Amino acid sequence: MATYTERQSGSWLADLVSEHAQVLSIALFFLLCLAFFSAMNPNFLTSGNLLNVVRQAAPILIVAVAMTLVIATSGIDLSVGSMVALINATVAIVIAAGVSWPIAIMLMLLMGALIGGVQGWFISYQGIPAFIVTLAGLSILRGAALFMTEGYSIPIRDAGGFFWLGRGEIVGLPVPALLAVLVAVLGFVVMRRTTYGRQVISVGSNMEAARRVGMPARRVLASVYVVAGIACAVAAILLAARLGSGSSNAAQGFELQVIAAVVLGGTALQGGKASMLGTVLGTMTIAVIGNGLILMHISPFFTQIVTGTIILVAIWMNTRLFDRRWRLGKRKTA
Amino acid sequence: MSAAALAQPHDSAAADVVPILSLHDIHKTFGSHQALRGVDLDIRPGECLGLIGDNAAGKSTLSKVIAGTYVPDEGAIKVDGRPAHYTNPLEARELNIEMVYQDLALCNHIDVVGNLFLGRELKRGPFLDQKRMLAEADRMLAALEIRIPRLTAKVENLSGGQRQAIAIARAASFQPRVLIMDEPTSALAVAEVEAVLELINRVKAKGVAVVLITHRMQDLFRVCDRIAVMYEGTKVAERMIEDTNLQELVDLVVGKGGH
Repeated sequence: MATYTERQSGSWLADLVSEHAQVLSIALFFLLCLAFFSAMNPNFLTSGNLLNVVRQAAPILIVAVAMTLVIATSGIDLSVGSMVALINATVAIVIAAGVSWPIAIMLMLLMGALIGGVQGWFISYQGIPAFIVTLAGLSILRGAALFMTEGYSIPIRDAGGFFWLGRGEIVGLPVPALLAVLVAVLGFVVMRRTTYGRQVISVGSNMEAARRVGMPARRVLASVYVVAGIACAVAAILLAARLGSGSSNAAQGFELQVIAAVVLGGTALQGGKASMLGTVLGTMTIAVIGNGLILMHISPFFTQIVTGTIILVAIWMNTRLFDRRWRLGKRKTA
Repeated sequence: MSAAALAQPHDSAAADVVPILSLHDIHKTFGSHQALRGVDLDIRPGECLGLIGDNAAGKSTLSKVIAGTYVPDEGAIKVDGRPAHYTNPLEARELNIEMVYQDLALCNHIDVVGNLFLGRELKRGPFLDQKRMLAEADRMLAALEIRIPRLTAKVENLSGGQRQAIAIARAASFQPRVLIMDEPTSALAVAEVEAVLELINRVKAKGVAVVLITHRMQDLFRVCDRIAVMYEGTKVAERMIEDTNLQELVDLVVGKGGH
């Protein structure tokens, strides 16, 4: 006689843990970094230093949020560092030319969107791999910045409100950091709760399926590069406002920090997956490591080595460990 | 096209009904490969049309033309007797033409609910209305007797049969007028196949036109009213189900029907 029984469903906690394994592991890594550096240097955990860390992390975080969207579509944007440099230089030139700073900011946001739109058009409508288009962008945009400034730093004068964006504080918290948090929250809500976020994930997961169910797949794919361009403009403005000048040499190696932050946070390069919380934790980890190494009086050049190593290890863990759908604890036998 | 002349539409009572969808002389070429060489096909309300043929006979290409995924190089499509020019799946969807693709067209990284509502998410203000979508999805799947334990599970974690069931539920649940199913039962278990065949009979009764592509010949005789046979990019025969039998269909598919 056959007896029919229903399969037991496992604990929802195990499901939750395995689904968020990557965010949990980066959170753990972040806490380890915090513990390590506070043990190595008593100045690390002071509020002054921590505020400094978040102020410096702000531009990275803003662009990393946009990069999360780009990578979720299985694309990449290598041009972000050059774009920040170009807009950083341009905003200084524009303000030096007598344009009032609020208008200059508007123009810069438009410029970022436009540059991102051109790259997005090549990638989405012309089918050129994102890697190639943005690698060309990396060279062209930095070149344009150098050409415009001839390599000199351009000072910004008499723009108090503008400087406040980079140096100001609201109830003791740095304005750039607050802006970055705002951007991260916005990114989180958009990816989790809106149709646009759903479209970005769909395009990254299965572009043809997205097209077949009637999503504007190409437009969505192009749009993430526009978002990245705007984010670069915001980051460039914050940098210019903090340093009080614009320079074609700004944001060297910025793209690496941003990409490292995103992949460290568990957003898969294969697309279809985005973790905003992971990106925030990844950015903070990168920022803390950079800051901690300096406090330990280790050569600043060493941070580059660490950043590169983190990218490699993060991607390695991404492909080797997490794709296998490993579970914490033992699988229950039925 | 001489091949088109070979087709003998056994027009009976159905001939009086205006077809929901009418294809005329559809051509589609991919590079040097002539996928479709002049296909005529009428699809009538409340009728299930079985589309059979060997591999690469053009069944899937034809169904994708109907669904708007491919735009034919030549030929005309009429919807309700009026010329229709849809150039993408969205426009076809707006004409209530839905399709279950052979590759399912699901997003593996998105959960079950998200896939069911892919492309027509329910919203509350600017945000996705997850609660209402969950409730609706529950109802959609229950109506098709599909059992999926957790609707918030990612599709990549489901079995092939469950994925196929989701693709079918997605196409069948939004009041289609034409429902195209490309190999919908290939990965399904016994009970699920029965549910799909039942579903076809149920939507037929509501006046939906169903196009069924399948290799399971025995299923054809359970749900179809008419069979169209494709061979090398043309329609070589059309039979009412009561006028034919399994052997004849097999002969037609392999190209022995031309005497």
